[in-house]
Amino acid sequence: MNREELFIKLNEVFRDVFDDDDITVTDATTADDIEEWDSLEHINLLAAVEQEFGMKFNMGQVVSMKNVGEMADIILANLS
Amino acid sequence: MGITSFYFLCFFAGMLIIYYILPKRLQWAFLLLCSIVYYLITDSAVLILYPIFSVAVCYIGIRVISSTENESKKKAALIAVIAVNIGILVILKYVNFGINSINGIAKFMGHNGNVFKRFKFLAPLGVSFYTFSLLGYVVDVYYGIAGVQMNPLKLALYGMYFPAVISGPILKYRECGEQFFEPHRFDYNKVTKGMQRMLWGFFKKLVIAERLDVIVDTVYGKYSSYPGVYIWIATFFYAFQLYTDFSGCMDIVLGMSESLGLTLPENFKTPFFAKSISEYWRRWHITLGVWMKDYVFYPILRSGFFTRLNKSWKKKFGKKRGKQFTTFVAMFILWFSVGIWHGGAWKYVIGSGLLHWFYIVMEELLESPCARAMEKLHINAESKIINGIRIIRTFFLVCIGDLFFRSKNVPSAIAMLKLAVTTWNPHILWNGAILELGLNIYELAIVILSLLILLIVSLQQQKGSVRDMVAARPLPLRWSIWYALLFAVILFGCYGPEYSAAEFIYQGF
Repeated sequence: MNREELFIKLNEVFRDVFDDDDITVTDATTADDIEEWDSLEHINLLAAVEQEFGMKFNMGQVVSMKNVGEMADIILANLS
Repeated sequence: MGITSFYFLCFFAGMLIIYYILPKRLQWAFLLLCSIVYYLITDSAVLILYPIFSVAVCYIGIRVISSTENESKKKAALIAVIAVNIGILVILKYVNFGINSINGIAKFMGHNGNVFKRFKFLAPLGVSFYTFSLLGYVVDVYYGIAGVQMNPLKLALYGMYFPAVISGPILKYRECGEQFFEPHRFDYNKVTKGMQRMLWGFFKKLVIAERLDVIVDTVYGKYSSYPGVYIWIATFFYAFQLYTDFSGCMDIVLGMSESLGLTLPENFKTPFFAKSISEYWRRWHITLGVWMKDYVFYPILRSGFFTRLNKSWKKKFGKKRGKQFTTFVAMFILWFSVGIWHGGAWKYVIGSGLLHWFYIVMEELLESPCARAMEKLHINAESKIINGIRIIRTFFLVCIGDLFFRSKNVPSAIAMLKLAVTTWNPHILWNGAILELGLNIYELAIVILSLLILLIVSLQQQKGSVRDMVAARPLPLRWSIWYALLFAVILFGCYGPEYSAAEFIYQGF
C-alpha cells in the first residue's frame, strides 16, 4: 500500500469515527483541525485505525503522535 | 524558605549572578546544588533522602530498561520503579486516608471509630510533583520515546529542580528535560521578561490571593455564623484565591526559570473563560491533566478489559452509546485519580475529582438534546450571550467543587451548601456587613481593583502574550507599566516582618 492509498483509507476511518463525511486529512492534520478530536476520541480513533490496518500502536506512539503524517508513517512501517 | 520571602529573593538574585558567571558546562551542576540547598533549608534536612531515593530508583530502572532487549525484564523493571515510587507516595500521603475511611465506616456501623490509629509522616517538598515527573520519564524510556539520561546527577536535577517542586509544573523529560544541561548564555531579554513574569506572580499572590484569604478564612472557619450570600461570596472569592495563588506561583516559577534560560510547560490558560468543564480542565493545571491522560487514562482505555467492555457495550447499546459508556467508566478512574492526587481526603476526591467527572458525563449526555432544543427554539448556539452564559455556568460549577476542596471535610461542605441555598440575605451586599469579614473598605477596594486588572490582563492573554504587547509599546509607557506593578506589589502586597504570607495552596500537594 502506498501513502496515497493509505490516506484514502484513513479518510474513511476518520469520517466514520467523527461522523463527518466532509473530513479530508493530510500529513499536517492535527487534533486542532477536527473539532470532535479530543482526548476521548483519540483512543477511539486509534482503535478504529488499528482495526482497519490490522496492527497495534504502542503506548509511546499513542502519546507522542503529533499529526496524521506521523500516524501514517507508523502504519506504513507496520505494514512493510 | 517561601518563594515570596525577602530571603528567597536574595537567594535567587545571588544564584542568578553566579549562574551566568560560571563556565557554561557547570551551570547544571550549580542548579542541582541550589536545589539541594533549597531542600535542606526549606524542609527538615533528612527529608531530602526521599527525592534522592526516588531519583536513584528511577535511574536504576532506566539503566536496566535501556541495557536489555528482554521485554519481560524491561517490563519487570518498569513495574518495580512504579511500585516503589507509588508505594512511597501512598505511605506518605494516603495511609491516613485509608485509616480515616475505615474508622469512619466503623463509626457509621455503630462500632468504635478508632479501629486504627493515624500515622504521622513528614512528606518532603513536592513529593507528588517530582514523583510524577520522574515516573513519566521512566515510562517514556520504556516506550522508547525519551532518551536515556546516563548521568544520575543530571537525572537528580531533572527530578529535584527546586522551582518546579514547589507547586509544579509536572515536567516531561522528552519535552523539556535536556535543556537543563545545555549551556545558557546571559540574554538580557529573557532575564528581564522572566522577572516581569515573576512580578506579575507576586502581584497575584501578595496583593490578591492573600487578601481574599482573609474573607474566605473568616467565612469557612465559622460558616454557621455566615450563611446564604456570605457563603457564595466566600466561595467565589476562594475560586479567585485558588487561581491567583496557584497561577501566581506558576508565574514566579516559570519566570524564574525563564531568567535562567529554561522554558517550563504552562499550567494555565485563562481557565475562567472556559465554556465547559472539559475545556476548563484543558486550561487549568494543564500538566497534571496531560500526565493523567498519557499515563492513566490512555493505558486504561487500551487495556484488554476495556477493549472487551467497549466491544460488548457497542453490541448492547449501539456504536455511539457503547463507546460513550466505556469512556465514562474509564473517566471515573481518571477523575478519582485526579481527586486523590490532591490529597488523601474525600473532600479532594469529590471536589477536584468525582464531581468534575459527573459534570463531564452530564455535558456529554446533554450535548445533543441541548443542541436540538436550541435549534428548535431558533437560538444561535454560538452567540456571545449563549457563550457568556456557558462561561458563567462553568465558573459556578467549578465553585461548587472548590467549596468541597476548601471545606474542612465532606459533611461541612454539604452543611455549607445547605446553608447557602436555604438562607436569603442579599442585604449583606449593601448594609456594610461584608466589611465585617476581616477586610476594611480600603482593603476591599484594593481587591476589587486588582481583580479588575486581572480580568483586563486575562482578556488580553486570550489574544496573545501580554508581555510582548507591553514590550511593543514606547519605552516610557512600558517602563511605567512595570514600575506601577512593582509599586503596587510593594505598597499593597501583604508581606513584611510581622506578616507571614501563607504557603501556596498547591505546595501541600
